[in-house]
Order: sequence, then C-alpha cells, then structure tokens
Amino acid sequence: MNISSVIVIPHPDHIESVQSLLREIEGVEVHAVSPEGKIIVTLEVEGDRATAEIYNLIGHLDGVLSASMVFHQNESDPEALISSEA
Amino acid sequence: MKLTRREFIKSNAVAAAVGVAGISIPGAQALAQARGGDGVRWDKGVCRYCGTGCGVLVGTKDGRIVATQGDPDAPVNNGLNCVKGYFLAKIQYGQDRLTRPLLRMKDGKFDKNGEFAPISWDRAFDIMAEKVKATMKNPDQGPFGVSMFGSGQWTIWEGYAANKLMKAGFRSNSIDPNARHCMASAVFAFIRTFGADEPMGVYDDIEHADAFVLWGANMAEMHPILWSRITNRRLTAKHVKINVLSTFTHRSCELADSEMIFTPQSDLAIANYICNYIIQNNAVNKDFVAKNVIFHKGVTDIGYGLRPNHPLELAAGNNGYPGPDGKPKGNPGASTPISFDEYAKFVSEYTLDKAHEISGVPKDKLVALAKTYADPKTKVMSTWTMGMNQHTRGTWINNMLYNIHLLVGKISEPGNSPFSLTGQPSACGTAREVGTFAHRLPADMVIMNPAHREAAEKIWKVPAGTISDRIGYHAVQQSRMLKDGKIGFYWTSTTNNMQAGPNINGEMLPGWRNPKAFVVVSDVYPTVSAMSADLILPAAMWMEKEGAFGNAERRGQFWRQQVKAPGECRSDLWQYMEFSKRFKIEEVWPADLIAKMPEVAGKTLYEVLYTNGQVNQFPKEEAARVNAHAWAGYTNDETDLFGYYVQKGLFEEYRRFGLGKAKDLGEFDLYHKVRGLRWPVVNGKETLWRYREGYDPYVKAGEGVKFYGKPDGKAWIFALPYQDPPEKPDAEYNLWLCTGRVLEHWHTGSMTRRVPELYKAFPDAVIWMHPKDAEKRGIKRGDIVKVATRRGEIELRAETKGRNKMPEGTVFVPFFDEHRLVNKLILDATCPISKETDYKKNACKVLKV
Repeated sequence: MNISSVIVIPHPDHIESVQSLLREIEGVEVHAVSPEGKIIVTLEVEGDRATAEIYNLIGHLDGVLSASMVFHQNESDPEALISSEA
Repeated sequence: MKLTRREFIKSNAVAAAVGVAGISIPGAQALAQARGGDGVRWDKGVCRYCGTGCGVLVGTKDGRIVATQGDPDAPVNNGLNCVKGYFLAKIQYGQDRLTRPLLRMKDGKFDKNGEFAPISWDRAFDIMAEKVKATMKNPDQGPFGVSMFGSGQWTIWEGYAANKLMKAGFRSNSIDPNARHCMASAVFAFIRTFGADEPMGVYDDIEHADAFVLWGANMAEMHPILWSRITNRRLTAKHVKINVLSTFTHRSCELADSEMIFTPQSDLAIANYICNYIIQNNAVNKDFVAKNVIFHKGVTDIGYGLRPNHPLELAAGNNGYPGPDGKPKGNPGASTPISFDEYAKFVSEYTLDKAHEISGVPKDKLVALAKTYADPKTKVMSTWTMGMNQHTRGTWINNMLYNIHLLVGKISEPGNSPFSLTGQPSACGTAREVGTFAHRLPADMVIMNPAHREAAEKIWKVPAGTISDRIGYHAVQQSRMLKDGKIGFYWTSTTNNMQAGPNINGEMLPGWRNPKAFVVVSDVYPTVSAMSADLILPAAMWMEKEGAFGNAERRGQFWRQQVKAPGECRSDLWQYMEFSKRFKIEEVWPADLIAKMPEVAGKTLYEVLYTNGQVNQFPKEEAARVNAHAWAGYTNDETDLFGYYVQKGLFEEYRRFGLGKAKDLGEFDLYHKVRGLRWPVVNGKETLWRYREGYDPYVKAGEGVKFYGKPDGKAWIFALPYQDPPEKPDAEYNLWLCTGRVLEHWHTGSMTRRVPELYKAFPDAVIWMHPKDAEKRGIKRGDIVKVATRRGEIELRAETKGRNKMPEGTVFVPFFDEHRLVNKLILDATCPISKETDYKKNACKVLKV
C-alpha cells in the first residue's frame, strides 16, 4: 500500500469547492486547512498505478493551482500492529 | 498505545504535511516524534532529478528504500516534493535493472555484430584496456580518440575522477558532459559577460522579487518546487506580477499576468527592444553603468556549428573553422570595445514596431514588459532554461538578458536577479565546477591557458606538460568523430545520448556502430544508449553510493550510501578508478614526460592519479568518524574496496582548485552535517548574493558592486543582432518543431519510465498541435500522424487539447519516449560559441498516416 500526504493549494476563490471535490475521491482524506487555504490531504491507495491516477486527478481538479507531495511510504503489511512508544 | 503500521505511517504523513504547511493538529507532531518505531532508518538526501536540488529524507528498511519525504529542514524546498521526487523510492527497483557486464559476442569472443552476453568485470576491463591502448597507438586517432561522455548526473567525485583520468591519465581532453546539450550557452555567456560561471543570485530572490519574467522556461512542469515558491509569492504579495514568454501556451501560463507567445528565435529582437526602450526612456541606471559596465560589439558572421563542409559554414567568415589557407576563419566569440552611444545606436533599430513585427507579440504587452524592467521600483527576477540555451544564438540571448539587467542595475541583490536554471542535479556542481567540458579544468580554469594547466598539474602532482593545450571533442563533435573513425574508444555514463543527442540517424548511430569504434555504456537500465553499445557496464545509482551534487544556486549537497546496489553493479567512481589500474604509465605517457618526474616510472595510472598521497590520505576509519552523527560504523563500498575514504580524499584534493579564487567550497565533513552550502564558502560561511558588498566576502568595503571575474571588475554589455535560425518553415516543411519535456518524465525517461505510476500517468509521447493546423491536414485528435524533417520521420498520436496549447504554425513533441525518438528529426546545428544544439527550432511537416 502507498501511503502519502499532499499539500493542495487551491485558487483563493475555490478553497471550499476544492475540498468538496477532494472528499469525493476514494482513498483521499482531508485532514486540515491552513488559514491561507492550503489543504492537507492523505492518499491511501492499494497498488502502484492507482496512486498516480489519483495524484493526476488532484492536480487537475478545477481550482487547484498546485499539488505537492510531502511524504510517501510503501508498506507491505499495513495491518500489522506496532507500538508507538518503541 | 497499539496501532497498525498503516495508522502509524499515516500519522507520520499528516504530521509531515502540517509541519510544512505551518499549521498544527493536536497529537500529530507528538506521534511523529515516535518515528523509528517501525524500523525505518531516516537520513538526509538530495533528489536525483532536476537542477533544483530539493532535499529529501530517505527511509530505509531491510536494505531497501521504502519511503521518502520532502526535507522540512532543506531551505530549497521546505519539505515539499514534486511528483517525480515523490517516487524516488522506486527508481532503483525497476524490473529490468542491469546487474552484470554484458559484451556483444559471437563464438565466445567480442564481435561488434554479436549478441549481448554476460562477462566478468575482469574481462570487461581487459577488452576496454586493449581498445584504449590500440586507439592511442592508431595514427588516425591518438590520445584524443579516447573519448568520454558524462553528465550533470555524475556525483562531484565521479566527474572529478573521470576528468583527471582523461586529461592527466590518458592526456585526452575529449571528455564532455551532456550539459553541453543543456546549458553550455549559459556557461559561455557567464564567462563572456562576467568572466565567471554561475548565477550571482540564489533562490531566495523569489521571495524578494516584485515581478518574474520566464524566458522560454516552463517552470510549472520542469521546476515545480521553484514554481510553488513563485506561486506562493504571487498569492501572498498582491502586487507581484508574472510574465511568461514562450513559443506556445503551457502550464506556467495559467498563473501568468501576461502571456507572450513569440515566433521562434525572436527572443533576440525582444531583448534588444527592451534595451532600446530603457535607453529611449532615460531608464538607464547611469551611476551603475558608469561604474560597473563596459560595452562590446560581437562578431556576427559566426555560422551554425554544422559540419565545416555545410554551405552555411562555407559562407560564414567568423565560425573559427579552418579556411582555404588552413587557418581558422576568425573566432565566433570575438568582440571589440564600443562606447555607450555606439551601443545605444546599435539597439535603436529595435523599435517597438520592429520587435512586434519579428516576434508577433502584441505591442502593449511588449511595452508593459519593457516597463517592468525599466521601472526602478520593481525588482525583477528573470528565469530561463532550455528555451534560451538550446538556441543557435544561445550564448547571445544569454548575454542579451544580462544586457537588460545591467543597463538598469537590477542584479546581485535580493529580488533583482537574472537567474539561469539548470536541468540536472549536478549540472553546476559536476559538469561546470569540476570542469568536465572538453575545454575546461576545475574552478573556471581552461586548458587553453598555460597558467591554468600548470596549476592543475601541480595540484594533481603530474609533470609539467601532461595536460594537452588542445580543446577536446565536444558532445556533437564526438558523434561526428565517431562516424569519421577518429574516435576509437568511447565511454559514456549517467546519460542516454543515443536518445538525447541530435540527428540520431544521420550522425550518432552510424558513429556508435562504426567498426573503428568501441563503445562502452555504464548504465542502470537497458536504455537506447545501452542497447546501441558494444559493452554495457552495470552501474550503482543514487542511494547505492555516497554522493554529492551541486544545484543551480551554487549549493553543494552530500548524502551517505544508504543501501547496497544489486548484483554486480558498481559506482561510476569505482569503475574509473579500478580501470586505471590496467595501465602502466609507460603505456600512456611518452618517455620525455616520464623523464620529468622519474618517480612515476613503473607505476600504474591508479597509483599516479589516486594513491598520490592526497586522494588516499584519509584511512577507512575516517568514514565512520566523519559520519558518526548519522549512524555508528558508517562506511561505503568504495572505501571498503580501495581501503581509504575515497570520496573525502578526492573532494579535498578537488577543493584546492577553488580556494582563494572566489570558488571556495567548504570542508568535506561540514557538507555531511548541513543541508548544503552555497559557494563561495569562506570561513565555513556560505555566500548568497555574489559581487555585492555586504554579501560576498570577495567584495571589499566601499566597493559596492564588483564583477571581479573580469580584471577591471566590470561586466560586459554586448551589441548583438537578431539573426534567422539555420532552418525555418518553408513550403514543404511548413511547421516549427519544438521538443522538450513533460512533468511526469525526466529527460529520456530512463528512470521515470521504470516507475509504473509515472509511466501510467504519461505513457507515450504525443505531438501537440493547433486544432486548425490539424484540421488543414485532415487530422483529428488521437489520430496517428507522421512527423518528418529533412533528417527522418516518426509516428505518434496527435493532441490538440491538454496542457500545451500550440499557436498555429508550431508543434511540440517531448523527447522522453524511447519508442518515438524525436531527436532523429533534429538538425545538429549548435550555437557556434557554446556548441550547444538547438532542439527547439526545426522545420517539419505533419501528415495523416
């Protein structure tokens, strides 16, 4: 599974509408919006190819000026338990 | 607290993003601090792709790169990554990775027409050494027939070791980087105007500029992280304006306040018009110009860098080629001093009417652009890449951009910045600073200057006269010399020239397949180049070796080796050094040279060049000591194999070239601790704005501005005209063909096409064209079409919509697709000064298949 985070910068007039569009995409979760409108999104996508399609989709949504990657990790055993104190 | 790996990773991802965006979500940061609990080791690294030089954190687990993150502590990208950087974790793991040396063989022996079969490194070096020695003895070839082609993707020490092996070891200056195809024009203009290479400004200019002018650069797709900084500046400072000059509408135009689509080549006329406007409207910064600038008029009859027997070259009087009497016909770089008034008169013919007529840009937009530069209150950052560099007048247009900034004194201070961007991660650090061009030595020195050769010979501890005074074969000339049988041994790495070079069918492939040549390609994947070679050597890449890159803002950045390379892959550094053991000095140097330094007699090239008491001065344990802050017991493959800290020894020897000459690099150990340093690095401190008092330690108190690359401290403004390109659309070949890149792929796609996500995002090259141009030819969107020039033809699908919107008369084809080699169609015409090919202006026709 590819787990990643993206910062989406919408046009100032489209901060709300871009969030609505993002929430409709499967595997995409909106976590926060900064005061100036930067949207924090995670992608959790099985398989490699779908990740790119979703990324492209986000980059081309109406009102999106840029979508930048921040973090990406490939995890082969996502449901295994770990201790966060370790 | 128990949680799944997925939840843990996701919280890391969110924490990283909110940190970068400058907001907080309760709990997110705390979780992220627990990092390490999932067994991933994180360390700092540098992106493998473009010249921006983004910092990336690299996550390794079980000997494999599993994760990457934009480095929040990296000043270049402040934690952001573009889509290519995002998939860095995967570029090393393509299914078709080369892991063994492969030689073309028939019946167990080398055969130029044989099939690739695995051999040992030992046998590979045997045949390579045999071919080098035969080439050196061949009267048609000689030492310069031993030739190397590298790139701005070499790490600094790889380029340095290669340069030394070629110029001192084999005494051949026929080494050139693919940067010749990329920004040689920028280099030659820097030297002509300022006497010193590389930008005076830094990326920090972005946050200070009031206006941006993109001259033939599509930063939104090619330099996305710098573009995100410009976007941020535009959105947070309302007065900021973005101007985009281009030959077609692309992604960067979406944010542009003024989009100017100009006829190919007419940038020359636009630049001269702006200078004329500045002069006519009394906007010249007279104090600045009087103190810091002198004027020159360049020669104009300089040809197009074609073969000497081409009609255009026979007609050219100043192309530097041998004339009927055997003497060079002038010098394309020559110029003579003129006065300001003479310069003003020269550009006075570039009126608004004329600039409009040549360029096709509406007059009001041209005036507004000229005003942007002329207004003393507006800080202007100009950026450019291939649109200006890949130009048969590439050196000129670079010079002309500096003319504009110098006339108004908008240079070398925050926000006022003519900024030449680069396309490769170490185009500056390796190709330019190490001097791996056919005419260069490290630290801006050149082989034509006897004092420079002497300085290099002293640092390298080789006898006086070792380095030849003759310029070697540059990139395009290498192809021609291969075809003509003058090169007998050609070794290329970290680039894919058979796809990226011009005129593939006319010049390149016939050269590589010439029986008189033996071609070696060191590569990581079976690229077009690898498959066209005689011998393929499997290379280690990126995090499989310790590395250093230098980015476009003079920032040197290091990384540690994170993982082992697969199979028998070895770094280019190991390949050069190990190969040098195959030569006794008597086999490569004449007796009279050896007699000048008798202690080298009987030694191998390896001993003379690398175990010279300098490169091998740091013992193996030094690697662990220098990097102890990162992890305990660190080492790397070359250090283990050669028995000393190779990278440190090479870097510390290399560093001596620039010390005290305004090219100072910092100490090796320091780079392993910090997120890069911008040279000159003096007393451990980096330099932001060069040539400006208060920022640059080489400018003394009271000097203000000093362009110290020139003996009198003054930059040169050049009077240079508009001239037509060698080929323009005509009745038969009736369209301009422009080539370039797309966001998802980097250059020839050797790496990005191995990442399934990126391949899927943009699988095959298409030709973008205007709907009317398509309609006139009976072509519908999605149809297969034939694109032909006088050199050849390819077939691909037509696209009339999407990210690139072509004006009528111009088509665009990206060059990443190995199945649609657009460079077959490209004329090998170059800027005669820089020898850089123009990939942007060929005449083509498009037909429905």
